[in-house]
Amino acid sequence: MISKKTLFSIIMARRVRAISKKPQVFSKYLAEKKTLERLAKFEELLAGMMGSAEGKPEALDDIKVVEVSYANFAGIIAATILAEFGAEVIKVEPQEGDPARKITPYGVNINGLGIPFLMESRNKYYITLDLNSEKGRENFKKLASQVDVVIDATKPGLMHSLGIGYKQLSQLNPGLIYVAISPFGHFTSKAEEFHNVPDTDLTAQAESGYPAIHGDPKAPEPYSYPLRAGIWAAWYMAAGLSVAGTLVALYHKRKTGEGQMIDIATNDAITTWIGHSVIWGFTMEMPRVRLGSFDWCLYPYGYFKCKDGYLTITTSRDEDFRGLLKILGRWDLEDDWKYMLDRITDDIDRLETLGAELDKELAKYTRDELVKKALDYSAKASRDRLRAKGFPIIVKTLTPTEVLKEQHWKVRNTLIEVNHPTYGKFILPASVPKMSKTPPRIKQIKCDIGEDNEFIYKKYGLHM
Amino acid sequence: MLEYFSFTNKLFKSSADANQGVFKGIRVLDLSHVIYGPMVSKFLALQGAEVIKVEQPEDGDVWRTGTYWDRYWKYSSPYFQYFNTNKYFIAIDLRKPKGKELIFKLAEKSDVVIENFRAGLVEAWGIGYTQISKVNPKIIYISCSGYGQWGPLRFFPSWDLIAQSMAGVAMATGFPGRATYKLQDYYGDFLPALFGAVAVLAALYYREKTGEGQYIDLAQAEVLMRIMHEWTYISVTGKEIGCTGNVDPTMSPSGIFKTADGRFIALAIANDEQFLALTKVMGKTELAKDKRFRETLERLKPENIEEINKIVEEWVKSKTEKEIIELAKKHGFPASRVMDDWQIVNDEWRRERGSVVEVKDEMYGEGTFPLSPVVFHKTPGKIKWLTRPVGYHNRYILKKLLGLSKKEIEELEKEGVIGYWDNRVGLRPPPYYDIEKDPIFNYNGEEGAGN
Repeated sequence: MISKKTLFSIIMARRVRAISKKPQVFSKYLAEKKTLERLAKFEELLAGMMGSAEGKPEALDDIKVVEVSYANFAGIIAATILAEFGAEVIKVEPQEGDPARKITPYGVNINGLGIPFLMESRNKYYITLDLNSEKGRENFKKLASQVDVVIDATKPGLMHSLGIGYKQLSQLNPGLIYVAISPFGHFTSKAEEFHNVPDTDLTAQAESGYPAIHGDPKAPEPYSYPLRAGIWAAWYMAAGLSVAGTLVALYHKRKTGEGQMIDIATNDAITTWIGHSVIWGFTMEMPRVRLGSFDWCLYPYGYFKCKDGYLTITTSRDEDFRGLLKILGRWDLEDDWKYMLDRITDDIDRLETLGAELDKELAKYTRDELVKKALDYSAKASRDRLRAKGFPIIVKTLTPTEVLKEQHWKVRNTLIEVNHPTYGKFILPASVPKMSKTPPRIKQIKCDIGEDNEFIYKKYGLHM
Repeated sequence: MLEYFSFTNKLFKSSADANQGVFKGIRVLDLSHVIYGPMVSKFLALQGAEVIKVEQPEDGDVWRTGTYWDRYWKYSSPYFQYFNTNKYFIAIDLRKPKGKELIFKLAEKSDVVIENFRAGLVEAWGIGYTQISKVNPKIIYISCSGYGQWGPLRFFPSWDLIAQSMAGVAMATGFPGRATYKLQDYYGDFLPALFGAVAVLAALYYREKTGEGQYIDLAQAEVLMRIMHEWTYISVTGKEIGCTGNVDPTMSPSGIFKTADGRFIALAIANDEQFLALTKVMGKTELAKDKRFRETLERLKPENIEEINKIVEEWVKSKTEKEIIELAKKHGFPASRVMDDWQIVNDEWRRERGSVVEVKDEMYGEGTFPLSPVVFHKTPGKIKWLTRPVGYHNRYILKKLLGLSKKEIEELEKEGVIGYWDNRVGLRPPPYYDIEKDPIFNYNGEEGAGN
């Protein structure tokens, strides 16, 4: 005989299961059963249409690229992305290999090969050429006269002084697109002055004005220093821009037959793509001060501490902020902090009083409790006119280990497990984004020095 | 060297100003808002694409009223101006059936559609890829979302910072054992937007060859995950890299150090050659023979980074910023200043390069704005105009592109299918500007004619 209490809990468990099958949505437009059914079909369609790259054409399968980088990942990554989109990319290295092979977190390597190089090795051909020898340069000319794109991420002027820069190569191959990647670029007086200074992500971040807006000036030294963004923020930005520039030039070439030279300065990539430094500087006529975890344009918008760890909270609009106050039971704060303009004041001390109030409330809850509170509030609010669509988002500030457990990325194959004959087992992030007809993809991982000499030398008629 | 730079200086200065833009004739229907979507179309707009930005009447893009420290520039949001240069601004009520009809008519004549609503929303509204591709099979349709359009997290909301947290990048910036910091200035929007632009450009190229359009599912968090070393690192070592403060764990020595004159410099050594140059400059060539430091992989071990960084820190303390930069130039090791906003906007180099330019706009007058981080020698980008009030180009676009008469347009205005600004700063024209005399707004004039 089942007691009433047990029966109740069984029914509840079933109900919870039934509810959890239905996805939680945050828009009244998505809430209807009919719509959800249609979207479920759409999702199925997408999973089929976008799930795999197998057998699909490649956007750049008619494009050939030569990459010459030296200890510079901006060039390496740019070439890799073109290879992910299907270009035939040939990386030219000296006999001893690109020193980039050893640029790796804490020296961690597999048979001497660093992690970033392994990560960005996808789909390329690896050949060696001694550009300091006459034969090597002749071979390089022969190669460059048969390709569409040359990526030069060596010191500005070096290729020119070897007789294989844009000036010389464009005479052999007028349709050539020459992509120059360096700290200060290949033209201007400053570029000339600094041509001997090599590129790194950290120096590029610093020259872009990026660390100057990170960190907490109130911390004790050296924690108060301008702070490096903890990823290759400048190198990846510069690489993405190089690819975008190359694609513009390829489109132009297809229309007109014209090649051209493109210049990317890694020291300028973040500055000029994000643009905030320039605009702030021009309107305010002073630099930004570092604000720790505050934002200049939005509040609350950052990381907060609660009972058992870190949370990320964003309330990008006033209605979102109102929602947060409701969740925390602090409607009394609404009057003083009603509008975004109240919450992004230059009176930081005053703002900190709001921060302190929020911290106090947040400390009462665990991460799970707050995440659930916010989701439930938002799901309800999205169907309720009176709540004015308030949408405070609270998520756990995840560590990479936690991210690895997320089912969503497994469904989407965002992180790929590779079992490689030479390099063993490891994970790689998949190519982005997903595309229905010509998805970028990882076709093969191989990157031994000179591994493709025979094949490429033969294909392009180079002298052994 | 002299010869090379006189060649390149000439090459880039001669860059054809007359060029119309590579994507002249390419039309982009941009349903997106905030930063993430608009920056995809911004890249195309700089290169001459005709970007039609659709906003909700009276509300407009949320960034129109967004700004920093409650400052506006000429009664507008300066960031909004930057995200949306060269675009056409129309305001259509997507909730009205007639509004949707207009969207379909515009989409029929477009090459690219961009949206960044919550996943599934455009499909629910009936203006998603499956619906639009029926009337225009050649369309390139990009949906920009936090986590992509399928998978368990698809309906989950996202902003730049939420994507940073969900991707695990949030835990990368900061000193070990202390607070972590977000990547500032909405990196979680700007980098994914750039990859979105790359995908659209690749799709345009493919369409040139085959005539086929396609659907692009761009996920913010996936782009951030694509650039992190953590996954591979964890799979090889079983440990996370975590926060490393000012040390770039792939470079040794590396860090941001304080100089004798109280300034900061960034210094990072990528290979043995650079390390040798640095030890010479420091007068410590014996370090290049030390077995802890002489070889890159050895030098990168955590304990050795710590040791070598201490030595470098002491040395930097004894030099001024200027001295170190001069030495870097002469001896060829990577070091740079730690620039701030004010230095950047006054930097002659960026002006000479053309990446930061003075803009003269008919509505907003003169201002300083970033142009293009990619400098092309034949096809430079161009800022033709800044932004315009909500619905400013309604009449212009509907008349010119859809061939509607003045009467039909007035009818749509009356029904509220298309609309205009309300009185908020950033949505309306600046008060000094007489909109009634504006030719483009009043059915006359040609956009960009003065340029």
